[in-house]
Amino acid sequence: MEKCNHDIIIVGAGLAGLRAAVAAAEVGNKLDIAVFSKHHPLRSHSVCAQGGTAAVMHEKDSFDLHAFDTVKGADYLADQDAVEFFVRRAPKEIVLTEHWGCPWSRTPDGKMNQRPFGGHTQPRACFAADMTGFHEMHAIYGKATTYSNIKFYDEWFVTSLIVENNTAIGLTAIEMTTGKLHAFTAKAIVMATGGHERIYEFTTFSHTTTGDGMAIAYRAGVPLEDMEFVQFHPTGLIPSGVLITEGARGEGGYLINANGERFMKRYAPERMELAPRDVISRAEQTEILEGRGLQGPYGPYIALNLTHLGEEKINERLPLIRDVAIKLGGVDPVKEPIPIRPAAHYSMGGIRINVKTETPIAGLYAAGECSCISVHGANRLGTNSTADCLVFGVVAGEEAARRALSTSLREVSKEKLLAEENRIAEILNREGSERISVIRDQMRRIMNEKVWIYRRGDQLESALKEIRELRKRFKDIKIEDKGKSFNTGFFSALQLDFMLELAEVTVASAIPRTESRGAHSRLDYPKRDDQNWLKHTLAYCTKDGPRLEYIPVTVTKWPPVARKY
Amino acid sequence: MSTKVEKIVEFKISRFDPESKKHYVSTYKVPIRKGTTILEALLYIKDNLDESLSFRHSCRMGICGSCGVNVNGKPMLACYTQVLHLDADSLLIEPLANMPVIKDLVVDIQPFFDAYKKTKTILIKPEEALQKPTEFIQMPAELKKFWDLTLCTKCSICYSACPAAIDERFLGPAALTANYRFVIDSRDEGCPERLKPMEDNIWLCTQCNSCTLFCPKLVSCANSIVEDHSLLVEAGNIPRTVKDVLESVYKYHNPMATHQSKRMDWAEGLNVKTFPEITSADVLFFVCCSAVYDLRNREVARIMASIFNKMGVNYATLGTEEWCCGDHVLRMGEKGMFEELAQHNIGTFTKLKAEKIVTLSPHCYNTFKNDTPYVDEKLNVQHYTQFLAEAIQQGKIKPSKPVKKKVAYHDPCFLGKRNEIYDAPRQILQAISGLELSEMKRTRESSFCCGGGAGRVWTEEALPEKRPCVDRIKEALELGVDTIAVACPFCVTTLEDAVKVLDVENKIAVKDVLELLREAI
Repeated sequence: MEKCNHDIIIVGAGLAGLRAAVAAAEVGNKLDIAVFSKHHPLRSHSVCAQGGTAAVMHEKDSFDLHAFDTVKGADYLADQDAVEFFVRRAPKEIVLTEHWGCPWSRTPDGKMNQRPFGGHTQPRACFAADMTGFHEMHAIYGKATTYSNIKFYDEWFVTSLIVENNTAIGLTAIEMTTGKLHAFTAKAIVMATGGHERIYEFTTFSHTTTGDGMAIAYRAGVPLEDMEFVQFHPTGLIPSGVLITEGARGEGGYLINANGERFMKRYAPERMELAPRDVISRAEQTEILEGRGLQGPYGPYIALNLTHLGEEKINERLPLIRDVAIKLGGVDPVKEPIPIRPAAHYSMGGIRINVKTETPIAGLYAAGECSCISVHGANRLGTNSTADCLVFGVVAGEEAARRALSTSLREVSKEKLLAEENRIAEILNREGSERISVIRDQMRRIMNEKVWIYRRGDQLESALKEIRELRKRFKDIKIEDKGKSFNTGFFSALQLDFMLELAEVTVASAIPRTESRGAHSRLDYPKRDDQNWLKHTLAYCTKDGPRLEYIPVTVTKWPPVARKY
Repeated sequence: MSTKVEKIVEFKISRFDPESKKHYVSTYKVPIRKGTTILEALLYIKDNLDESLSFRHSCRMGICGSCGVNVNGKPMLACYTQVLHLDADSLLIEPLANMPVIKDLVVDIQPFFDAYKKTKTILIKPEEALQKPTEFIQMPAELKKFWDLTLCTKCSICYSACPAAIDERFLGPAALTANYRFVIDSRDEGCPERLKPMEDNIWLCTQCNSCTLFCPKLVSCANSIVEDHSLLVEAGNIPRTVKDVLESVYKYHNPMATHQSKRMDWAEGLNVKTFPEITSADVLFFVCCSAVYDLRNREVARIMASIFNKMGVNYATLGTEEWCCGDHVLRMGEKGMFEELAQHNIGTFTKLKAEKIVTLSPHCYNTFKNDTPYVDEKLNVQHYTQFLAEAIQQGKIKPSKPVKKKVAYHDPCFLGKRNEIYDAPRQILQAISGLELSEMKRTRESSFCCGGGAGRVWTEEALPEKRPCVDRIKEALELGVDTIAVACPFCVTTLEDAVKVLDVENKIAVKDVLELLREAI
């Protein structure tokens, strides 16, 4: 196996990964930084972020307001020290991306414009029309490519972390064009690989965002935190699930049921369509379950009406979603409502890190959606995710740089590399009777049917059993293509392996949480239970499946109270 | 939960096995429902029919730029194209062009991004300005100036469709557009520096408009490149070859560096009426500098005049008062000079009263139709192929003598891609008995430029194998035709050059449609 080393390796080239690379490069121009991604950085799922990035940018707003909105939105499961740190760092990040060229939308006097968003009590979402993530990505990629000490490994598929003595010392990755497995050593490694919502059937997620980094870290011994908390976005376009930004509601769009009723008045009379996502998704699901959904060829749905905004405003503020709705939904939002329903959208849970982005394994850091600090608790507010990627991307880059400057590389043992080589070869050589796509689709169906917005103990138990059954069947897959170069069938198998692992952790973490909090709604336990469940779940990888532990939530200023909107 | 199957579509997919280095085609039948995209069809094939098929994809909402493929010869995003909208029962899916194929539909995008990275895609400002703790002020109107250009996803479709990009020195439409996007960003102060990476290669752009035509985000790449040209012209950073053309137009009002007094030499013995002797006619024949001065193209102009004569058309030319239309000059970025040429020609049009203008060159046609100030005059213009196709249809011309030739028609970009005139020239050729007309693979909208536009016909300095015309002649040879027909004087010049470079004069001839028509009447 070919070996190579770098001071810092960043896995993932979305917002968090690229921002970490830039931050590390700023610490030292002698640092040798590598960014690994299984596709070109500009293909990362971050480009799909639409509505905005939250930051306190005007006088009426304050850090405390942003922090409180975030904590309340999180249904009090967020760690408040992390939230306070987060809100203070966000404005600087916005200004930096602006200085690098991000075309932020402006007020009439030329300042950064901000739009209202769900759960935020102030207009706090800085936005670049409805392509915020796309423009942030292009700005940061532009910046990242100005450093000669950042090396990009585009289309390299990371398969495992190498950990010795509770220290991350390297990783293995397949060069996708040649199919060759290489070993890399590094003084610090940052995981920034995004979420795992492709474990669901109906999702806003890109096809390639399969949670690889979460699974790799989990297998390397890092606990995954709060994985039962999966956010369902209220407006996934029918039939594909493509995201229709919450910014559509921020600009004045509203939701109606089959009776033409703005039903949110019964669920969140004050905030209406700008209540947090968990609240709205539950409302939509209830409307559908109680027979008030509209009927379409793909089943019952809810209508998102923007027609009253007019063509000019839609073209200026929401051009992408208009185009997407026409091209992929067959409706022009200027003329008719958009058919939507809730779609799996974000993982509040992820690789356990502290506010310095350190995982429990020395030398291993994580940032962005693959991580859990926890800023977002049981439910993330819209526009806080891109802000999270920027703020904690920087922290991860700086912390990794600091460590890289003060430690030395370690040799990777041959046995470990051989074991990984054998593991990969064994999967590629599988000649069983199961098809990858069949197992993948079944996993997604199970997650959609039994681990959706409303959950019930018996259904979760049955989902766990079925996912475990699928994991067994996965051992019997057949990889049809044995080719070395760009074998996308083989990579689908590796991704499915990761997703099955994460689906199991998600369900296993959900079963014992006998309460309803944020995005985790139990029909059998409909109330929040602070007495027993104001705590984070930690899932550790064992041979027999996840072993769960719990740790307390950090409360600084805002003790839990009833959550109303 | 799905809608009914509307039809079964055959997908013929171009495959490449990197290990055996073999190219082959696989055919699959895919059930298509309302809304099914090309990407969903490819995923259906991979999931159900053939796991080994490789292609890139990710966001499936047209924003990540992963899934560009050629569908029936046109590059597009697989995820943003619905199969039913293509109105076809069989689709040929191929990898994007201009980049090496890695496997099946996966191409090596490195050349595209290497070029992109040669431009600086962040704001350039003095270090102290960048220390400012607050945002730079930018008025909404300032943002609007460049906003549309920010929508480029770097999908590389423009690059794959670009004839200039066969020369890897060319930065490509996306990079050049990104560069211009920063130049006109009110916050940016990097202009002199930004001109550097493009100054020695941007002149390879032929303004064929393929980049703009196929951009999934409707980014006006070709116009951005004209604006880049303008910046370079203003700064005086232009190669000798470009300077010579512009100086010639400045001095002589034509790019051929010939005195205007010789402008009617081509018509010797044809009894062509001219302004100012004539002040009204049914048809104003706008001849074009190339047809007037280039000895090879003079032949074509003479045929047109003799056909007018034969038909008894009451026509006249502007004589020595016909100045260059300015199409090349404008697209080379010399806006001031273009304005002067246009004003002169418009002034003369008002003096020679005619019902319509007929042009020999698609470039004159295009600029009269589409560029300010000509466009404000609402000129009644026809390209000669339109005029003659009508005449044939009305029985005014009868091309009855058999012309035994195997012909492929090459669509001139300024006639086809820019003005959607695809049928008229073909109607003329089809009316010629004995002429066997076949289509090259890259045809109509997907036609491959000859490499002559935006002045490149005079400034060509690429190695022969990097010239679009050479690529094009090879394609015609592969098709097995003995004649490549064109309807543009610049296509004649470039393609004949390619025939000489390839030393295939005994295999293939370049003929203007008019020359073939003359043989038939």
